[in-house]
Amino acid sequence: MLQFLVDALLRTADLALITLGLSMLYGLIKFPNIAHVQYAMCGAFLAYALNSIGLPLVVALVLASVLTGVLTLGVQLLVFDRLLKSGPAIAMIGSLAVSMVLVACVLGLAGSFPHMFSMPYTEPLVFGGARISKTQLWFVATTVVLLALFVLLLFHTQIGRAMRALACNPALADASGLNARRITNGVTLISGMLAGLGGSMLALSTGAHVNLGYDLLLPVFAAAILGGLGNPLGAVAGALLIALTETTVTNINFGPLFGEYLLFLPVSYISAASFLILLLALLFKPYGLFDREVRRV
Amino acid sequence: MKKRNFLKLAAGTLLVSGIFSTAWAQDTISIGAVLPLTGPSATVGEDIRRGIELGVEHVNANGGVLGKKLNVIIEDSGNNPTSALTAARKLATVDKVPAVMGEYSSSITLPMAQYLVKENVVHLNIGSSSNKIRELGPSAFNIIGLEENGNRFAAKDVYDLGHRNIALIAPNNAYGQGVAHGFKEEFEKLGGKVTAQVLYTGGQSTYRRELQQLARANPDAFLYTAYGHESAVINREGKELGLRNVPWYAYIMSMSVSDTPAEIAEGQIGMELGSPTGELGKKYEEAFKAKHSEGFKTAFNGYGYDGVLLMAAAIEKGKGTSPAEIVAGLKAAGAEGFTGVTGEIKFDDEGQRIDPPYDRLKYEGGKLVLR
Repeated sequence: MLQFLVDALLRTADLALITLGLSMLYGLIKFPNIAHVQYAMCGAFLAYALNSIGLPLVVALVLASVLTGVLTLGVQLLVFDRLLKSGPAIAMIGSLAVSMVLVACVLGLAGSFPHMFSMPYTEPLVFGGARISKTQLWFVATTVVLLALFVLLLFHTQIGRAMRALACNPALADASGLNARRITNGVTLISGMLAGLGGSMLALSTGAHVNLGYDLLLPVFAAAILGGLGNPLGAVAGALLIALTETTVTNINFGPLFGEYLLFLPVSYISAASFLILLLALLFKPYGLFDREVRRV
Repeated sequence: MKKRNFLKLAAGTLLVSGIFSTAWAQDTISIGAVLPLTGPSATVGEDIRRGIELGVEHVNANGGVLGKKLNVIIEDSGNNPTSALTAARKLATVDKVPAVMGEYSSSITLPMAQYLVKENVVHLNIGSSSNKIRELGPSAFNIIGLEENGNRFAAKDVYDLGHRNIALIAPNNAYGQGVAHGFKEEFEKLGGKVTAQVLYTGGQSTYRRELQQLARANPDAFLYTAYGHESAVINREGKELGLRNVPWYAYIMSMSVSDTPAEIAEGQIGMELGSPTGELGKKYEEAFKAKHSEGFKTAFNGYGYDGVLLMAAAIEKGKGTSPAEIVAGLKAAGAEGFTGVTGEIKFDDEGQRIDPPYDRLKYEGGKLVLR
């Protein structure tokens, strides 16, 4: 049971930072940016590259995160700002194209073979039958700290209030003298950094590989939509729900139904479970589970 | 003027090379081989090529075949079925060889061999393990252990080690399905039980969930077969999840430890296709090291070497180089038994090696040793 909770928590951590950034940015620019998960992939490769040229791991992670933020901002200013003038549908298709270009670039530069960080093997921590490796523990802890900081930022600072105001009613916010451009750019940078950090921390245990972004695409979007796009904390709750579902489905033993001792759903079909939930949510609560919060500041 | 000179030169070259190649054809006997010399299996392909090269050298040093020199034309498949077919077609129609050896991956060997058999060219399998190799037809022969043999060997070995409840993980492709299905069948015949089984999707960066599903079976031991990098992930995550506290048995072991850090692989046990053995095998290993200035990379080179020597013996026995004569020669050599570096080669009625060799291995002190 404890291992179940640990696994669900780990999976939430996998998704949380990336989903948070995606949802936050959606609140301001109002289009689902498919390339967002590829920023995470780029972050993973940047961290790997920086680490392998000799930078200490923490420095590599932070630097990769900052570089990913800059990349995100650059793409936003050069591509999406222009595409958005033609509407969100065009921008979304554009983001699909950007996503493919990013994957192709990484594939060309780093190849399709996954790159593992060279870290010494350490024994995992064991408590009450559950196991968690130290890297994973750091990952979860960092995610929790960042989420807490984000809550403080969003609800207890001027900038946070400005962000919420802008997300809620851009015209009114503009009329009230908020600098929409600067806030949007700031949020873009932060969401890119979060994606970069999320991706590179994920890569610590799974390696930097070119499918990292695509593997995240479906669960991250499911979590963000479930939480209500534009509602950052709802997105984190969505991630938790997706993680719980995935972990539950992984662990259900269908054996007794078919007269076998153990029979599990093949892991490659498990993401279908989160989609079932997403589909139900879209049918019955199209603005996500926390729609009231989405519609007001 | 210049142009005319060039034409003269070109014509001259053509003429000379024509004469030369006819002369070459008259005192050499050529057979073909298709190997993955580039692509993901290039290490194995190059290893087999080295075995073949040494085989040709030894045959020719001992007087060649039917008084002529033996030559093996080697083509690259690039690990691609279409290129392999093109290569086989070139060997059969341009070089007009009577026999072709190769490839390595079953999914490439099968279509290629089907084409060769249809074109009435002899095929000798030296690298693939699918059970379908057996069904290729009357002019196809095989000197390497197929899945059915491997499954029987592994099942008996695991049973003899005292394990009764096995959890099994294998790649979700023709090979992995064959192993999973065949091992289970053989193991349950002996009285053991495969309590959980997972076929994993290749190329993933984590197999944590698959392993956790397997762990629910509380097995006595895990049996796994996986390709280099996937093995590395499975080995590491298995260790992190504490699953490697019970024994892990590697099926075709060299690929299961090739990319894994030594501290995780230490103590790992498993099985592998038989490496060169006995007095002959030792001599071969020395000659191999002397020629290529490094040792064996895989267990496959010995089969390339034996393939060449068996072909030479078959041509001698069949007293000719037509496909029909080679088939007769192979049947004769396979009936009385041919001693190669991988052990004695005898064929059953379907041209398949009887009791192909396997080794019991252990990973100790950073390398694979016999156990």
